[in-house]
Amino acid sequence: MTYKTDEIWEDKWVNTTCGVCYCGCGAKVRVVNGVPVKIEGIKESTMGGTGSGLCGKGAAGLMYYHDPNRIKKPLLRTNPEKGIGVDPKWKEIEWDEALDMIATKMKKIMEDDPNKILFTNQTMRASDGPHNHPYFYAQAYGVKNNGNFIIGGGSLHCGNACHMLGGLIHGAWSIAPDWRYTKYVLKWGSSKGTGSGHSAMTNARLRADAIRRGIKEIVFDPMGNFAGGKATEWLAILPGTDAAVGLAIANYIVNIRGEMDELYLKAKTNFVYLIKDDGTYMRHEKSDKPLVYDTKDGKVKEYDDTSAAWEDLALDGEYEYNGETVRPCFVPFKEHLKQFTVEWAADISTVPAAKILEVAKGWVDNAQIGSTITIEGKTFPYRPVSSVTFRGSQGHTNGIHQVAAIDLMAQLVGAEDVPGGTLGWPAIRRAYPGGHYEQTCTVGTDGVIVPSVFYSHDPWPVHAPSYPATNMGCVDVWTHCTLSHIPYVNEVDYIHEKLGMTSKPEMIFGISANFVISNSDWDVAVKNFKDCFVVQMDLWVNETDQAIGDLILPDVSYLEKDCWSSEIDAFFFSGSPSFEDWYVHLQQPVAKPIGESRFFMDVYIDVANRVGVLDKFNAKLNDYYGIKDPELQIKPGEVLDWKQIGERVLKWVYGDDKEKIEKQGYATWHKPIEDVYWRWNIDSRCPVYMEYLIHDRRNMEKIFEETGFDYKKLEMDMDQYTPLPSWFWPESHKDLDNEFDLLAFSYRDILHTNNTTFQNPYVDEVSQMCPYTFTITLNTTMAKEKGFKDGDIIWIENKFGVKEKGIVKTMEAQSPKVIGIAGQGGLWADGRPVAKGKGSNFCKLLPSKLKYFDPVAGNMETAVAVKIYKA
Amino acid sequence: MPRWGMVIDVKRCIACWGCTIACKEEHFLPPGVFFNRVLIGESGKFPTSSKLIYPVLCNHCSDAACVEACPTGATYVREDGIVAIDDEKCVGCRACMVSCPYQQRTYYDENVKTREYFPGQGKTEMEIIGEKLYPFKLGTVIKCNFCSERLEDGMKKGLTPGKDEDASPACVNICPVGARIFGDLDDPNSEINRLIMEKKGKQLRKEFGTEPAVYYID
Amino acid sequence: MNDKHQDLVETMFPSDGSGIKPYEWMISPTRQRQWIDDKGIFLWLAFFFSEIGAGLYFMSLFYSFRPGIVLGWLITLVLGGLIHMLYLGNPKRAWRMIMKPNTSELSRGIWIIGVFAVLGFLQIITPGGFNMVFNFIMGILCLLIISHGFATMNVVRALPAWNSTIVLPLSIISGIWVGHQLLQLMFAISGNAAAASGMEVWAATFFLAYFLCMLLYAWGTWHSSGAAKASIQRMLEGDLKQITYIGVGVLAILVPLVFTLIMWGGDTNGFLIFLRLASVCAGDLAIRYLIMKSAVYNPLI
Repeated sequence: MTYKTDEIWEDKWVNTTCGVCYCGCGAKVRVVNGVPVKIEGIKESTMGGTGSGLCGKGAAGLMYYHDPNRIKKPLLRTNPEKGIGVDPKWKEIEWDEALDMIATKMKKIMEDDPNKILFTNQTMRASDGPHNHPYFYAQAYGVKNNGNFIIGGGSLHCGNACHMLGGLIHGAWSIAPDWRYTKYVLKWGSSKGTGSGHSAMTNARLRADAIRRGIKEIVFDPMGNFAGGKATEWLAILPGTDAAVGLAIANYIVNIRGEMDELYLKAKTNFVYLIKDDGTYMRHEKSDKPLVYDTKDGKVKEYDDTSAAWEDLALDGEYEYNGETVRPCFVPFKEHLKQFTVEWAADISTVPAAKILEVAKGWVDNAQIGSTITIEGKTFPYRPVSSVTFRGSQGHTNGIHQVAAIDLMAQLVGAEDVPGGTLGWPAIRRAYPGGHYEQTCTVGTDGVIVPSVFYSHDPWPVHAPSYPATNMGCVDVWTHCTLSHIPYVNEVDYIHEKLGMTSKPEMIFGISANFVISNSDWDVAVKNFKDCFVVQMDLWVNETDQAIGDLILPDVSYLEKDCWSSEIDAFFFSGSPSFEDWYVHLQQPVAKPIGESRFFMDVYIDVANRVGVLDKFNAKLNDYYGIKDPELQIKPGEVLDWKQIGERVLKWVYGDDKEKIEKQGYATWHKPIEDVYWRWNIDSRCPVYMEYLIHDRRNMEKIFEETGFDYKKLEMDMDQYTPLPSWFWPESHKDLDNEFDLLAFSYRDILHTNNTTFQNPYVDEVSQMCPYTFTITLNTTMAKEKGFKDGDIIWIENKFGVKEKGIVKTMEAQSPKVIGIAGQGGLWADGRPVAKGKGSNFCKLLPSKLKYFDPVAGNMETAVAVKIYKA
Repeated sequence: MPRWGMVIDVKRCIACWGCTIACKEEHFLPPGVFFNRVLIGESGKFPTSSKLIYPVLCNHCSDAACVEACPTGATYVREDGIVAIDDEKCVGCRACMVSCPYQQRTYYDENVKTREYFPGQGKTEMEIIGEKLYPFKLGTVIKCNFCSERLEDGMKKGLTPGKDEDASPACVNICPVGARIFGDLDDPNSEINRLIMEKKGKQLRKEFGTEPAVYYID
Repeated sequence: MNDKHQDLVETMFPSDGSGIKPYEWMISPTRQRQWIDDKGIFLWLAFFFSEIGAGLYFMSLFYSFRPGIVLGWLITLVLGGLIHMLYLGNPKRAWRMIMKPNTSELSRGIWIIGVFAVLGFLQIITPGGFNMVFNFIMGILCLLIISHGFATMNVVRALPAWNSTIVLPLSIISGIWVGHQLLQLMFAISGNAAAASGMEVWAATFFLAYFLCMLLYAWGTWHSSGAAKASIQRMLEGDLKQITYIGVGVLAILVPLVFTLIMWGGDTNGFLIFLRLASVCAGDLAIRYLIMKSAVYNPLI
């Protein structure tokens, strides 16, 4: 067989960025006669898999362009009635009419209060950037605190607690093992390196080499599928109980084995800070800085007093300061841990006590406390043990404590941002040689690191809870929510009323969000949002659009997008976390936009211009990229499209290499090793003792008292506002009884990005060849006992009468007390016929009451007590 | 003359299906046709059960059952070890399909040819151009050819299969975890021979005696 | 809302239990499809007709019965050959199938059929063609053609249920048995009741041999390997069991047995011979169908 070449007038490869999930691997697309026909990775790039590797769904991305179901013209709802199952009776309209309609509506709302407009970001569809811009786009309208951001896709299943602690500990959005040098990896409800998480294929590549090198990888997970199925050892655990095991391991390290990296604890954590009886820091009367005790001088000093050597700081003892008794916070912490025995953790988690002990031993044995390693002529502490978590373990009402407990064991042996340990994505982005845009984290109050760039809500410094709440998300009160949970909560009206939130949302300006079906109880989502005028830029009419959308604008897919900024600002979770050169890929169009579709950034600009806030947005862009060159700054009154803005920003960011970089489609430059293993180079301390939570609790309880907000009635657990990582039962477990005897959980299938990939026929085809992707998994023995077999159609029902149908597939590698559902199936939008009816929807089973959300970080409880029966 | 072969590192593989889909794109395969697949299974009992993942493709056996069964000589082993099909000679008897213990062959008929990725919505531009770029003959049997076009084009340019992507099979290039290693089985110093020796490479279902050129290591 | 759920269930868990769940492909024993499903059904018929045609030819040799060899020759070549061609993807290239007799059983079959066609034609047109040499050569050729279908299947090592040594005797005996029946009917119709009656003793013998071969096949296959056993299991317990019990149990065994007992001792009658023949043909088709349909490949992992 040979290629026929006579009819081919163009056959080229175009470098761009993959846009099928949020990871943004380098990708190149083969275009024949203007038609994209093949996608591969970019061989040289460190952003992505081995060689020109790309995962299956990335390779399948072509179908985004070829899908005949893409919307090609703006669609306007003509049926005023909204809801699931109601035909919106779409009417095609012209772009100008649509944009006018949006601008008119916005102007009217803004006369009153811009916080009545809700915005969404767009990681729900793909990484087709830009990433951070929707946030400050909203700010250009006068929206405060990003509190009226609502999210789809990963929705609140995603990493509020992980991101919060990622920011506080690593100055990064997410964490990964240092695959290159580690020897012992613990993964808790995370599939880093086995298919999901940030930089998924970059991590997969690094992990594959590490596994070949012979590292041990132990996975705690309710099922042995993607992560567990590839682990050296998979340990079945009940959802939401990781903290129990983590705390037991911490107790083993501190109180049984007694082997810790003391120097690290003294130098890099707040364990040496002196606290009063009420648990709060004793602060210096003038500088207000926390204090430490210098054992050499026998004096209390400010924490950053250079006259005190790290090794001399006290981790124990009791001291006097200004007539008050103070002690290092490590003292109560150590006592606190004693209650967490391995037997106790085994009872809660179902992981056998002997296994927990074995893992704990392995952890300390492999940590090589005290050892160093020299790489590139530079010497670092060497701690080849890493403990990482993500969506699975943190998606519970105890999420913040889950993440804190899992982080704790790394803290105790000093395995943070050193070779072999747990790494954040580099918190530092050096400027491209000859260019600008350098982002370096700073050290904030109390010695805590402040990330240079962070999405939505900065983790540090924590702002004190205050009221009245000014936006739908009420982040004025819930100050640790990366993205707020309040918009989805069934009691939202009550919360708003009590907390004085008057900006009742009237409009949503969204990008491909599907929050009606991707978060929790569908009916609550419809109820909470249907009264808004919902504008979405989307590729298809998705479930949210069909249920409550008013105006749907055709967006371009990543294959048609000219997005120079796609990864520039995403360094803190994109790219390689490892010691490898930087690669930043542009997103270059490989084909012409489908129909009349337009890139959402250009729509953003057009709307901002019509509304009269474009200058503000442009000023924020100048500021964001730090453009100092007046030639390159966008000036007031200038109307530039995204491409034109790119001309200037790229010139600023890459200097004289701009053209070269545009031509090759990516920029690459050296990443200094100290930027990867920065822990001992930046004088900061991890707030492992979460003292700030004491103040938050006091403030919040005061607000609740003053406003009459009855948090007890709503069963919001304020006890979680405690500085010590502790054990709290996740709400889902409390709901278990004889009837509702199983915990349903969801997991990410390597083939799917939320629900968009369900519409991809390549992915659909292979999903059917996968035993678990479109089915509901039950442990084989449990299924047999309950009388179910492969292929049975069952109902899964929660305590609130919400139910979902699915097909049974049994597997051995699953805890007998859980049922697993991959991702966000069970779709029904008419605009996505391939997706329709595939898989089951897990999200709808999650109740949307306030008590099912982490009271601190706002994570949703992503396990739910259910019963199953034959349909 | 080299004899091309492949090593699949099961330990690295994470079952992302990249090979399956990239292969479909490379050869413009219609829905339901796969030259590459991933087999996912399970062994053992809870809690010590393990997940089995085996990417499979044509084994390019040197003593191939399909070649033996073919009555016309359309299926043959090339000098470089690739089991190829001459679609001018194939009579469409499917004896090869039936005799392949690995079930790696597909019969390309009207039913397959007319399938659409978006059923009832017409063929996409990609499917249309694919029929020109990579035409299959009706009534013949098709299968993986180790991307021999890529290999040949690449070697003409002086590139090395298994090393340079323009001279290597699409599934090898796409694999994000480097689980596929391609090379010359006749070269005792090739990486694949080294891996087969060191990691004790195994052929699938060796007992059929077809001498597969695809080895698995774990 | 999930009205398409049932479609998905149908794809992933086919209700006919055919065992081709996409995710179980080559992970569990996987069914052979090419040579029975869709157009593959032609092959089933083609093998059958070649077999009975050659069977008739073979039996006719013993009785030097020219109409028998003519009809046998026609059935084998016209019905068997034509249906074979319908099955092929590129029938115009069928001549190429003579290229690989050294390795391909199919190719050998084509040669045999070719030689059979030429020599058979010569025998038909040659007066006194029923001589010893001719008969011997044609007899061998007939046996080869009878067994050709099963021989083609028998060489497939990948399908243990076909790769069993009992397959060939079963196919030869079944060809002779059906051929014998046809010939007996021809005699009965042509008014040669004595010949028909005289053949009955052989009918009983062939039937018994046929029955034993079937048992031997089932028993031998069951014990030969896991995948082969799975094939027999599918016949006895799976979705094919109705065909097994009615097609084989009733049509291939019970009905012929009853008629054979009725006609015991040569008490033959054209109508009964016809009924028995019909039942035997249906039974033979059922057996062939089952063997082709139930064959499974060994899983790869």
